[in-house]
Amino acid sequence: MELQLGLALPTPNMVKGFDLNNHGLDQLKEMGGLEAWNKAAGCFADKDCVKSKRSFEQAFGNFTEECRTKPLLLWSGQPNEEEDHKDQKKATFSTTDENDAEEDDQVVGWPPIKTWRKKIFQQQQQPRVGRAENNRVAENENGRSIYVKVKMEGVAITRKVDIKLYHSYQSLTNSLITMFAKDKKCDEDDYILTYQDKEGDWLIAGDIPWQ
Amino acid sequence: MNYFPDEVVEHVFDFITSHKDRNSVSLVCKSWYKIERYSRQRVFIGNCYSITPQRLIARFPGLKSLTLKGKPHFADFNLVPHDWGGFVDPWIKALAKSRIGLEELRLKRMVVSDDSLELLSKSFPNFKSLVLVSCEGFTTDGVAAIAANCRFLRELDLQENEVEDHRGHWLSCFPESCTSLVSLNFACLKGEINLASLERLVARSPNLKSLRLNRVVPLDTLQKLLMRAPQLVDLGIGSYVDDPSSEVFSKLKAVIQLCNSIRSLSGFLEVAPCCMSAIYPICENLTFLNLSYAPGLQGNDLTKLVQHCRKLQRLWILDCIGDKGLGVVASTCKELQELRVFPSDPFDAGNAAVTEEGLVLISAGCPKLNSLLYFCHQMTNAALITVAKNCTNFIRFRLCILDPVKADPVTNQPLDEGFGAIVRSNKSLKRLSLSGLLTDQVFLYIGMYAKKLEMLSIAFAGDSNKGMLYVLNGCKKLRKLEIRDCPFGDVALLEDMGKYETMRSLWMSSCEVTLGACKTLAKKMPSLNVEIINESEQLEFSLDDRLLVDKMYLYRTLVGHRKDKPEYVLLL
Repeated sequence: MELQLGLALPTPNMVKGFDLNNHGLDQLKEMGGLEAWNKAAGCFADKDCVKSKRSFEQAFGNFTEECRTKPLLLWSGQPNEEEDHKDQKKATFSTTDENDAEEDDQVVGWPPIKTWRKKIFQQQQQPRVGRAENNRVAENENGRSIYVKVKMEGVAITRKVDIKLYHSYQSLTNSLITMFAKDKKCDEDDYILTYQDKEGDWLIAGDIPWQ
Repeated sequence: MNYFPDEVVEHVFDFITSHKDRNSVSLVCKSWYKIERYSRQRVFIGNCYSITPQRLIARFPGLKSLTLKGKPHFADFNLVPHDWGGFVDPWIKALAKSRIGLEELRLKRMVVSDDSLELLSKSFPNFKSLVLVSCEGFTTDGVAAIAANCRFLRELDLQENEVEDHRGHWLSCFPESCTSLVSLNFACLKGEINLASLERLVARSPNLKSLRLNRVVPLDTLQKLLMRAPQLVDLGIGSYVDDPSSEVFSKLKAVIQLCNSIRSLSGFLEVAPCCMSAIYPICENLTFLNLSYAPGLQGNDLTKLVQHCRKLQRLWILDCIGDKGLGVVASTCKELQELRVFPSDPFDAGNAAVTEEGLVLISAGCPKLNSLLYFCHQMTNAALITVAKNCTNFIRFRLCILDPVKADPVTNQPLDEGFGAIVRSNKSLKRLSLSGLLTDQVFLYIGMYAKKLEMLSIAFAGDSNKGMLYVLNGCKKLRKLEIRDCPFGDVALLEDMGKYETMRSLWMSSCEVTLGACKTLAKKMPSLNVEIINESEQLEFSLDDRLLVDKMYLYRTLVGHRKDKPEYVLLL
């Protein structure tokens, strides 16, 4: 599934977007949560279709300028990671591992806690008694992660983010800005979050309720 | 010494046990090299790709104990893709073919298969000890083979491994004749085991000193096991849930009173806080307490427990103990040498469980503190400077501020001065991990003062190549350097290429190193393997030397390129 999220720089004309990939999708297929996520995000994915990773992009809306934040940089329309890399002066080898559905970091590998230890916490959040019946519920609450790749204009390296860890667009945006602040000095106010829908259009995140 | 016959020299060497010392001794002269190699029994190989098993066997025919490490450290945090390497199979195969009488194998971050374990169990009649830490690739079938075939097994220690659990009959595979167990740790296994088999095993193991149970072992079994093994020194509790008014719980309380040899307590993989009071009687003897896997214990529970632990030397705990709780630790645990505080909820910044205050309290109260791992939400320069005044004995100092580039919240400054103070006053520092907002200045300090530093972990820090250069030039004892997401590039990488031959390894990911620079390095330094890990969907590597490399891992080796690299690794 590809959800393309973008954080924009102040110039309205430049268009470079974010590339979000949902990871761990295979694990989500049993979850009621996935459905809710799909619907909330405006995706019309069929339950049956969710058997393997797919692209899943959402409708792209218009920018409006009621906020102080400047418009986002949009992707030049290429969902393809390699092409995007070629556009940049310093291309990078991509780092994301599509098959690794086991991470639940904000940034890949951060904070530096052993994966094993994190798994213990996840398991412990599941009640042991009656686990079979509680599976659906437990998995929803359990924090099986939905990973999304995020790129910021001007920064060579993508980050991976687990959307499940956040409860609002604001907290997601704040975290992303903090994450990218290292690479590019930026003010909080200058950036907006956008995402790309399946038609390749960019929407400002926040129009649809977080859930 | 040259006038003594070889046997005398060899006898003298028996007293030289540390790896470093034995390595030094072997370099003195040919005669000593020869004597040392025939008498060497224990070998430590920090990077399994630095040498081949064949050469190991050829040099040390008397080998009895082998320690091997595989993947780089950052593999713990998912930065190394699966099947990168670190396979133990070729080692076990080679050892099995040889005449080596292997008795002990200790592996860390390696890929182990059931077949390897089975071969191991059948090839060495005197095999006594298997320790697997952070390994993967095997199932409980492999464990069963070890249990079944190693007639004199003393130690089976599985720590934090990824083991596929086939619902253990493995425990029942220990034959009735096996009575030699000293240490059994299966805490990392997830599946059910035969509790009756476990009880019988413990009952027939009079030498059992260390027992660490997994989550499925319930409290009433624990009580029965402790009845059988009151001599235990190290206990890892599995499930610790019961009704405090139950008869079983009363029995447990009674039997715990008898276990006055227990010095080390861990586990509590499932715990009911109301049951913790039963533990208090053994707390006063504890030197190691690990509650870092225990969910659901609140700060109060932890504090109450710790108040009983006056002799504690090592404490691993979750940050829900809070700053106040750390204050209690500081006033109670005067013998404390090692503290590890793990985050109970790494992503919830709203619940700032421990801050710089807790650390300052600990530093003030625990004069023997020499090893720290501390996850917190914020840190100040002032606090670090205070810690540096209070504590000058640090060997390991690892601070992880959960927000990767967070400045000092009071002054908004980077944390350069704080870490600078730490390295300045702790002259024995061997291992350091940095975090928070950091400029090149901190590396200047590290290069100037951290003269004994052997391992350095850096993330999201620095401004320019100068940072990395300060470290490479100043830290003469540096062995392992791991860097992620820092603006260090080719200039730093290539300035002193010979330096890497004095180190075990260098990891750089998401930095500014180009493919061209890596190629240059590889070409000039044939004694290094320079690996580029490329996970992109591109099937071929672009050959443009200007491309930034995402992950580079280089290490010194005596045996050139490894033959088992996966497709996505480019060996230059």
